[in-house]
Amino acid sequence: MKSQLLFKQIEGIQTIKSIMALLNVNREKAIYLIHRLRKAGYVKTKKNKDGSRIYYVSLENKLGGISYYDIINAHSPVKITGPKYIIYGKKPSLEETLIFALKTKELRIILASLALFRNINNWSSLYQMAKKENLVRQVGALYDLARKYFMVRRMPERFKNHTLPRKGDKTIYIIRGLKSKDFKAIEKIWKIYLPFNEADLEDYK
Amino acid sequence: MISIEAQQKLLLAASKNLKKKITVYAIGGTAMMFLGLKNSTLDIDLVFETSEEREFFKKAIQGLGYQELNAMKVYGAKKNTPEMFTLGDERFDLFVGEVINFTFSDQVKKRAKEIRQFSDNLIIKIADPHDLIIMKCATDRLKDKDDVMAILKNTNINWDIVVAEAKNQVKSGKETATFELGYFLKEIYKTDKKLVPMTVLDCLFDFVKEQAEEQKKRK
Repeated sequence: MKSQLLFKQIEGIQTIKSIMALLNVNREKAIYLIHRLRKAGYVKTKKNKDGSRIYYVSLENKLGGISYYDIINAHSPVKITGPKYIIYGKKPSLEETLIFALKTKELRIILASLALFRNINNWSSLYQMAKKENLVRQVGALYDLARKYFMVRRMPERFKNHTLPRKGDKTIYIIRGLKSKDFKAIEKIWKIYLPFNEADLEDYK
Repeated sequence: MISIEAQQKLLLAASKNLKKKITVYAIGGTAMMFLGLKNSTLDIDLVFETSEEREFFKKAIQGLGYQELNAMKVYGAKKNTPEMFTLGDERFDLFVGEVINFTFSDQVKKRAKEIRQFSDNLIIKIADPHDLIIMKCATDRLKDKDDVMAILKNTNINWDIVVAEAKNQVKSGKETATFELGYFLKEIYKTDKKLVPMTVLDCLFDFVKEQAEEQKKRK
C-alpha cells in the first residue's frame, strides 16, 4: 500500500536528482525509495552514456506484459512504435509476431519484422498461422528478401513447396499500391508485390 | 471495488476458461484503469459485438463462481441494460452493441486502438477517451463527473471528435445525445472553466436548436 502511494507521487521518468527535488528528500532517501519501488515491481532502470541512471516508474512495469513492438525492437535494427498492444499471460512467439506485423500493413513495421527471420525456426507453426490469415506467399517473399541482406535460418523445402504460388494465382500486394523497383525477381517468384526498394533496407546493410 | 492488479488477474483467469477467441471493448472505469486514469472501479464494463461472444464469456466467468444479478436492481427500467454477474465486491456488466443510451458505432470501434490481450483467447480493445466522455454523460451519477474531469485533465481532447460523435449518436436515433452532452459539459465548465472550451458548448447547443427547429417543421 505504501509503495502504491509512493509510486503515484513519482510516476514517470525520473532521476535521483528529480526525485530528491520532487519529494524534498536527501540522496540516500531517494535511492532507498527507488529500491522499495523496484522491489514492488514499478521500476525499470536504464543507464546513460555518462553513467547516470534513468528510472521509468510505471504501473505497466508492475503489471508486466509484453508487446509485439517490444519483441520486434529486441531483434531489429529498425525501431518501431505503435498503438499499445500489450499481451499478458503469455509470451508471443516470433512466428506469431511476424504474422502480427504483416497484418498491420504498416511499411515500417513490416520492414522491422524482417529481422525476425534470423531466429524463426518453428516453420510448421508459422505456416499454420500464415495460412489462417492468407499470408503464406507474403511470408515466403519476405523471407527471400531478408535472405539477401543478412543470415537467416533455413526455410525447409516442404514449407517452400507449400507456399510457392500455383499457376492461376494473381500477383497480390502486401501493402496496397506499393511495388518494388529493385526486387522484381523475388516478386516474380512469389507473385507478391514487395513494398520496399533497396534504399529502404539501408539499416540491414 | 477492484484494483487494476486484481482486474488483471481476474481477466487472465477468465481468458483461460474461454473456449473461443473473442474480442470485446472495455468502457467506463475499466477502460479508465487501462488508460492509467483511475486506480480502481466498482464494475468491469465490457461491450461485445455479438450475443454469442457474450455467452462464451458468461460461461467463462460462471466457471470462476460468478453469479447472475438482476440488472433492474442497478439500472432500473432503462433500455439496453447489461447482463450482470457478481462475486463478492466486483461486478461484470456485459453489454451487446448498445450501452444504455449510447450506440457502439463503427467509428467508436475504429477509435479503440489500444489493445490488451489476455493469454490466447481474450482480446480487449479500450474505448477511446473521447467516447468515454460521451458515454459518461449519459448517466446521472456524480462520480461520472469526476471521471470525466480526470480524463480532461490528463488527456489531449480533440473536441471536434467529441462533437462529431455526439451528432452521430443523434443520427443513430439517440435524439438527446447532444443535449445531454452539452448539459453535462456545462456542469463541468461551471466547476473548472479551463477544462471545456465555451465554443464547444455553443456548438452543441446550436445543434440542439437546429434539431428542435427541424422537429417543429416536421409537425
